[in-house]
Amino acid sequence: MNKNIKNILTSVLLLSISSLVFSAGISEDPLERKVLDIAAKLRCTVCQNQPVAESNSDLAKDMRAAIKEKLQQGQSEKEIIQFFVDRFGDYVLLSPPKTGNGLVVWLFPPILLLFTFFAVVMIMRSRSAKAEITPPSALSKADQERIRRARNESNKSGEDE
Amino acid sequence: MMRNVWWVIFPVLILLFGLLAYGLTTNPKHIPSPLIGKPFPALQGKDLNGTDVTLGVVDGKPTIVNVWASWCGACRTEHNVLLRGARRYGDSISLVAINYKDELPNARRWLSSLGDPYQWSFHDLSGRAGLELGVYGVPETFFINKQGIIVEKISAPLTDEMLANGVALMSK
Repeated sequence: MNKNIKNILTSVLLLSISSLVFSAGISEDPLERKVLDIAAKLRCTVCQNQPVAESNSDLAKDMRAAIKEKLQQGQSEKEIIQFFVDRFGDYVLLSPPKTGNGLVVWLFPPILLLFTFFAVVMIMRSRSAKAEITPPSALSKADQERIRRARNESNKSGEDE
Repeated sequence: MMRNVWWVIFPVLILLFGLLAYGLTTNPKHIPSPLIGKPFPALQGKDLNGTDVTLGVVDGKPTIVNVWASWCGACRTEHNVLLRGARRYGDSISLVAINYKDELPNARRWLSSLGDPYQWSFHDLSGRAGLELGVYGVPETFFINKQGIIVEKISAPLTDEMLANGVALMSK
């Protein structure tokens, strides 16, 4: 009994220490996290289609340093992103703005999808309309005459048997 | 019915192909600068000799600000264009530079061996002035009119024609 309590106490102690170690290991600088969050939204302008957060280029490093400095000065994320847009243009945004020219990029795919959908529906409708069985046209007089003769002949041969 | 559908689909297809053709013929590396039409920021710093300089309109004349570095290969070919330009337009315009992320000895050696077309070169070792101006590669050139407004920005090595064009734009 005494041994059991001792064991439990030891394991609790060990666990509490390990949790301390773990929490120290995963703690991160919230400022760095914020810098990377903003940098992830900006395009590294010298490397095509790579965010500033992931690029190792000189310019991306400078941009990250500038973001950090501006955060330390108390600027908001919006202000910082606007700083880069004012200097590098909308191109610096990895996600284009939902106004002006950027709107085209956002609206074109859904419009194209809708258009394709309606086009397919229209084509399928016109096809099924064509596939309907048309009622046979009335027999011509000549055909009716041939049928009558054929019947007469078969009746005759039937009588012969 | 079928014919009606094609009347709608065909123009849209043409439009799509037109867009794709346009996309294929444009240069993805050409990025229009949002700074055109804006005043050039009056950045202060030191030139390669340690003298205080301020970027912007120099001597009250339309001013070209060329961004260069001794480590930039394309700047070497551009340098001859600038030397010719300084001789041709030197009386009516000012030509200054931003020396971008360069070591002082390298920058000085470049100018003494190739010739110095600039009135001075703003030494931007950290690249902060470049960031302030949206510089993403060297060489880049800003053309500023007498009022201090940026009228053109070229993000490529200048040719004689580009230089003449820019000078005409800033002298208006």
